[in-house]
Amino acid sequence: MTIDLTQFHDAFFEESFEALDSMETALLKLDIGAPEPELINTIFRVAHSIKGGSATFGFSDIASFTHSLETLLDELRSGAMQVTLAISDLLLKSVDVMRAMLRSTQAKQPLDIQKVSDLQFDLELAIAQKNPAPPQPVATVPAVAPGASFSGSNAGAFSTVTPNTDAASAAVHVESTVAANGADTPAATSTSDSQPTAACGWEIIFRPYRELFARGNDPLRMMRELAELGELSVQVDTSALPRFADLESQSCYLAWNIRLKGAIREEAIRQVFEWAEGDCDLELRPMGAPATLAAVEAGTPGAPSSGASAAQATQSAPAVAKSVSTADAVAADATLSGRSTGPEEPRHEAATPAGTATQQATPVLTAVKETRPETPVTAIGDSGSIRVSVEKIDELMNTVGELVITQAMLSQLGNALEGPNAEKLRAGLAQLERNTRELQESVMRVRMLPISFVFSRFPRMVRDIAQRLGKQIELKLTGEQTELDKTVLEKIGDPLVHLVRNSIDHGIELPEVRTAAGKPAAGTVHLDACHRGGNIAVEVSDDGGGLDKERILAKARSRGLIGPNDVLTDDQVHELIFLPGFSTAEKTTDLSGRGVGMDVVRRNVKELGGKIELRSEPGRGSRFIITLPLTLAIVDGQSVAVGSETYIIPLISIVESMRLKETAISRLSGHNEVFSFRGDYLPIIRLHELFGVEPRARALHEGLVVIAEGDGRRVGLFVDDLLGQQQVVIKSLEANYGHVEGVSGATILGDGSVALILDVTGVIHAASLRAAA
Amino acid sequence: MNKRKPGAATRATRRGRSARSMLGAGTEHKTPSDSFAVAAECTVADAGLLKIHLAKLLDASAIVTLDISAVQRIDTAGLQVIAAFVRERESRGRQVQWRGQAPALSNAARLLGLSQVLRLAAIGAQAVETAP
Repeated sequence: MTIDLTQFHDAFFEESFEALDSMETALLKLDIGAPEPELINTIFRVAHSIKGGSATFGFSDIASFTHSLETLLDELRSGAMQVTLAISDLLLKSVDVMRAMLRSTQAKQPLDIQKVSDLQFDLELAIAQKNPAPPQPVATVPAVAPGASFSGSNAGAFSTVTPNTDAASAAVHVESTVAANGADTPAATSTSDSQPTAACGWEIIFRPYRELFARGNDPLRMMRELAELGELSVQVDTSALPRFADLESQSCYLAWNIRLKGAIREEAIRQVFEWAEGDCDLELRPMGAPATLAAVEAGTPGAPSSGASAAQATQSAPAVAKSVSTADAVAADATLSGRSTGPEEPRHEAATPAGTATQQATPVLTAVKETRPETPVTAIGDSGSIRVSVEKIDELMNTVGELVITQAMLSQLGNALEGPNAEKLRAGLAQLERNTRELQESVMRVRMLPISFVFSRFPRMVRDIAQRLGKQIELKLTGEQTELDKTVLEKIGDPLVHLVRNSIDHGIELPEVRTAAGKPAAGTVHLDACHRGGNIAVEVSDDGGGLDKERILAKARSRGLIGPNDVLTDDQVHELIFLPGFSTAEKTTDLSGRGVGMDVVRRNVKELGGKIELRSEPGRGSRFIITLPLTLAIVDGQSVAVGSETYIIPLISIVESMRLKETAISRLSGHNEVFSFRGDYLPIIRLHELFGVEPRARALHEGLVVIAEGDGRRVGLFVDDLLGQQQVVIKSLEANYGHVEGVSGATILGDGSVALILDVTGVIHAASLRAAA
Repeated sequence: MNKRKPGAATRATRRGRSARSMLGAGTEHKTPSDSFAVAAECTVADAGLLKIHLAKLLDASAIVTLDISAVQRIDTAGLQVIAAFVRERESRGRQVQWRGQAPALSNAARLLGLSQVLRLAAIGAQAVETAP
């Protein structure tokens, strides 16, 4: 009977894609000439695990390709080859090819074999032509005054002016020595000063989740690999093992406390557990580091207090395990090396006497496990996380939305109640409201992802474009940890790509031009994200030439977008570039200038309920600021009354609200009304007319005007009254009814009535159609 | 203080037993004398079947002999089933003894720290050995 491996394919693909992303990131960080050993190790590990996985699953094409890649990386790692620009390009291309191969394998579509074999040939050629490392590339080292003292442990040993390079290559050579001696596992070969190495060994707490076996992992294999790293003693915890009848044969019930002796790098151990990442809790502690254990001990009744740490107590458990009945479920095993002591002998000098330990050791073990959640868990990567399908979260979100509405209804009802119990009821309702809000926020947070998911694609893109255009670009990313809703995140990618491309293509000048203008030859493109109020602001700025106002005007005139004598403010000029079909690029490149640019960007941003602003200074650069809502499920709105109806206007589109004086209103020919607002004349849109509602106020000075902005235009929306600001849960109108111009969705109010959420741009559009008719 | 057993994770999902209707499909055979020959392959894929076979011996009043001489490959899942069986037998005061040698099994047990649970301490020394 063979196991059906196809059930693991999805996990393999998903993990491989993630791994490739991290490989790409590492490649981009790689310094030509003096690469950081740890980065090469990261890259190597990715290649290695993809090779292993694809070989396991029988994807021989991928395995063969990654094998070549791995060979090349091994040469780099051992210092036999230098990281040059060409090599770095080759590696980046390999990432692309691997991604393509994985995708086509996943989709069960044919591979572009020619492309793969071409690149594989290039890889092998590079390996064959490997040159010994050239002399120290002095030029890449920052100028340091000779004789300057260096802080750091190894700096003092070098008296040349290139200490960094020396140190780096020294580290590389050390590695190769280790590689030669080490075991076959890549783990054993990766050594670097930056990684912690426990001098005497490690304590590993390995608690697989039930599904570990089902994900194709076998602890036995891991133990075997650990045993290759050092002297291993294993203690199994069978406490979770159910009655035989209840045992599910494919679930893992066992957990292990492992002691691994020897000077072993943490990385090497982590690598053993690499494939189990996400399927287990893993805790690594250097031996003789009782920091976390001391806390455990303090809270443990009956723990040995005479200086014997909990670690030692754990240690003493093997000594007594024989007398502990099997029902106690902690069984010990002999140390695997030849010079192991017998189980009866105390292994630790400070171990408690065997007699008392019977009572003590087991409780201590229990305590260690029970306090685990509080102790810092250094698990692999983001262990402790689970993958959940988006539909499940959406469903949850929807239910919470309903709950919010129900809660609002109850609150309204409770407030109207009188009687002895009404106060109690209201207190309860207040609590319900708080809890509901917290629940809603928690569910929303589940959907939130850091914007680094989008930002991470830019280093590669910027590098490629800059290379192609012969420009020097420095990409600066800040605020990558800013979180926003997954849906927003997915849709903001393309607009950002567009803006960044534009910045590089149109914004940043060629190096010669920049130096002539007294600017550094390398231009900077800055991507920044931050929370601003209830919104996210994402900014793309560059220190290039800024918008060329004259050229834009000339172009607009030639296209007949503006009259020949129109005088435009800066803002109005900026607006022009958001018009469809507008491009000032002198030649159309494949990057930008095809006229499908900024209008699409603006439309996409608007679809997300956000807005885009542009600031530009000639010669200094330009900034695009995108403001987005945190989520698409909830909107901060101002509820307004029109007759008996309530409408919600998203706060993001409101400039301000005011009562109009009659003197401020002017009537134009036909039916149109405008009012003066800070030196501008804005048209008035009577919402009651637009939606055919009988209003309470018809005279403009009797009601209120909400000044709202949409599509770069400002209008006054005439309403009867303002009701209040609130967060509302958006219900799709399209899904439940159909599209209505000027309405972006609906929500259910506390009293159970439905309120429409206005789409200001749509309202302006609908109103102008009416006016034209 | 929470009395819940430390490892008794709430994650445990009850997806139903993995019992398959494949009784007798393996190479295992059950002799009348309450002994059982463990198959050559004893991995996660075979663990379900192994469990079904062993379940029938759980209540046997006589000493159960597990013949492991055929075992070629075993993984954690396979060993877990055997360990659970041995433990449960012992908790009922019944014994399990081993027949034959299986380096794969004893190595795996040693690496996983299960020798003690399986009472395998001195396995391999004799052809037949009684559990303590």
